[in-house]
Amino acid sequence: MTTVLYSSPFVPPEWIAAHGHRPERVVPGAGGEASPVITGVCPYLRAFVQHVRTQPRVGAVVLVTSCDQMRRGHEILGAESRVPAFLMNVPSTWQSANAQRLYLAELTRLGRFLVNLGGRPPSDKRLVQVMLEFESRRAALNEQAYRPGKAARGVPLALVAGPLLREDLALFEIVERHGGRIVLDGSEGGERTLPAPFDRRQIRADPRLALAESYFNAIPDPFRRPNGPFYQWLKTMLAERGVRGILFQHYLWCDKWHAELARLREWTPLPVLDLECGDDPAGTRARTENRVQAFLEMLT
Amino acid sequence: MNRPPKKITLEEWDVRYAELSSQGLREPWYGGPLRRHVTEGDYRLRKLTFDNSPAALRLWNFLLTEETRLHRARKEGKKIIGAMKDLGTVPVMAYAAPDVIAFYPDGAWWIPCVMEMSTRDLAIADGLGIGETFCPVRAMLGAFVTGEHFPIPDLLTCSVGATCDDLSAIAQRLNGLGHAILWWEIPHRRRPAARERAVRLPGDFTAPAEQVAFVRTELERVRNAVEALADAALTDTQLRDGIRQANRVRRCLCELRRLVFTAARCPIPALELQIAEMLAIHFCSDREESLAVLTDVRDEAERRVRAGTGIAAPDAVRIFWVNPVADLYAMNLLEDVGGRICGSEYLFSHALDEIPEDVVPMEALARMALADPMVGPAGDRAGRICRDARAFGSEAVVISRIPGASHCALEGQVIAGVIRSELGLPVVEIEVPPVADAVRATLRTRLEALVETVKTRRKR
Repeated sequence: MTTVLYSSPFVPPEWIAAHGHRPERVVPGAGGEASPVITGVCPYLRAFVQHVRTQPRVGAVVLVTSCDQMRRGHEILGAESRVPAFLMNVPSTWQSANAQRLYLAELTRLGRFLVNLGGRPPSDKRLVQVMLEFESRRAALNEQAYRPGKAARGVPLALVAGPLLREDLALFEIVERHGGRIVLDGSEGGERTLPAPFDRRQIRADPRLALAESYFNAIPDPFRRPNGPFYQWLKTMLAERGVRGILFQHYLWCDKWHAELARLREWTPLPVLDLECGDDPAGTRARTENRVQAFLEMLT
Repeated sequence: MNRPPKKITLEEWDVRYAELSSQGLREPWYGGPLRRHVTEGDYRLRKLTFDNSPAALRLWNFLLTEETRLHRARKEGKKIIGAMKDLGTVPVMAYAAPDVIAFYPDGAWWIPCVMEMSTRDLAIADGLGIGETFCPVRAMLGAFVTGEHFPIPDLLTCSVGATCDDLSAIAQRLNGLGHAILWWEIPHRRRPAARERAVRLPGDFTAPAEQVAFVRTELERVRNAVEALADAALTDTQLRDGIRQANRVRRCLCELRRLVFTAARCPIPALELQIAEMLAIHFCSDREESLAVLTDVRDEAERRVRAGTGIAAPDAVRIFWVNPVADLYAMNLLEDVGGRICGSEYLFSHALDEIPEDVVPMEALARMALADPMVGPAGDRAGRICRDARAFGSEAVVISRIPGASHCALEGQVIAGVIRSELGLPVVEIEVPPVADAVRATLRTRLEALVETVKTRRKR
């Protein structure tokens, strides 16, 4: 069984698993300097590439085209030839049937890549079985992670962000330490990017299509054009969770997330705290703690 | 009317213009002395040097009257398309339709330079949360908010997908301000796999046939929107003619570039050549006139080559230039330190290559769109730069980074690496802000070092 690393929520792990491989979603650590040194990229891509370079027993890596940086990441990893790297075109547009067909075609192409790695094309029956298993496990995890008990305390906050580094996960503790609680995880690894439940009729008729629809049509993300569904999702969830403030995290050089900050502030009446992550995680963390503390003092 | 080729200042152009006028200079309606553009706010002209030919005067006047001509077109009842990002594809379709013209709102990225930061455009972008970490194309937001530059287009299109994040993010911000945008997808161009049907693209790239088919379907959506705007069908016959006309512009430009890059003495300055190249991407809002302007410049270059004259010293160092500069002054500077342009790749080489005329028009346009150097791997782009640099006999390469552009830093490294390993040429990377006065000394030093390096290598 080959381990296939990926980062984007638009890569369905069911598809990798159904081909007989082990999908592993990467939450890289910022670590130290990448070696060989990579410059001119965002802190997340640097960490991601370094993670792929240093992990033992990695069979392959899948990147997507949702941003310039990840596209270039594929070039970096491809040039090193240490690990087979696959770049999946995930369309930014989503309103046309053509874009949806492209996503489905890219899943098929990913399937061929997985077969070349030694996997087997799944039968419909096998694919449905894996899809339902993953869905069931996701549902159980979600129940635990995103349904806080009535006893939970603290100022309810939302985290709105792209992909997080391992070091960024400390943000949850920092918030709690200063009297808050993240009740809505809108980061790329959080509930925002969960696929929709599979359509039970579609899954019987055409499981690949059901898989594609649950991912491509359902995940709201700022990189999509237009990205209105991201704000529709936020509107619903902020109200549902009674959120009182938003933590907005983005990386230096991440244009697509950075550009949403001002729009988010115009859009929501809630206070928004900007947490920009630079190249120095240690310095960033100290600054973040101070800013979160002040933010929560204001909201308390 | 002809004087020996020379680069002259704005003050010298005042004298030259009077002289030409007294000799019966005939100009199009948008003609006039360059000085009037300074009065209208184009202050950067005071710091530039210009070619002294009537052809260059026409070129500059054509460029600097684009906004006036767009407003005039609106008054004449023409429909205006703002085509963002694709740099060469949608305008070919637009000009094929009756009474439709297209321009690039992204061209606003030169406003801060040309108007020497005297407008509010960048401050407005700052206020909208699009600050200095974005590339100067953010000036486009200010231009839309104030409406002081180009007219607000009747239709806005934007290619997204494998395009630069800066423009995609800024266009989304614009959309969030209430400007409707027709987004169309351009996928990352990949190399065809074994046994996958491949299509040859302009620029010697290849792509899988299924990607070409995808882009063709996307462009059909644009075609439908152009038809709705024009209230008329946009037939294959019209598109075919549109492609033929675009190719006339491209062939003229190709000939001009060949003359400039291969002449023993450089006949046309780098700055005027860069502007000439820019005309290809949307015909500077007037397709027929752009061909006439380019023809004039090409004829001037031809005359000078025949006469063995030029604007640079015979031993000027032959430089290949990568990426457009945010401050036009940088092109003057290259020649001031002893260089000349012998090859260029300003991120829109797909707008210079001829569009195939032997396939149906939408297929041809899809192939052209996929040949965009930005939508493929940086390695592909570097390969093309190497081919061209070799063909034009370039002796060194300048990679000009665009400040704030998220793709530039890494791309620059990849391109530099390929050039060094394949051609063994010296490469220098520079970053040129919209008004480069504060870093002029640094830029000069870096370019001088490159020129000296090449001259030393010549002696070996």
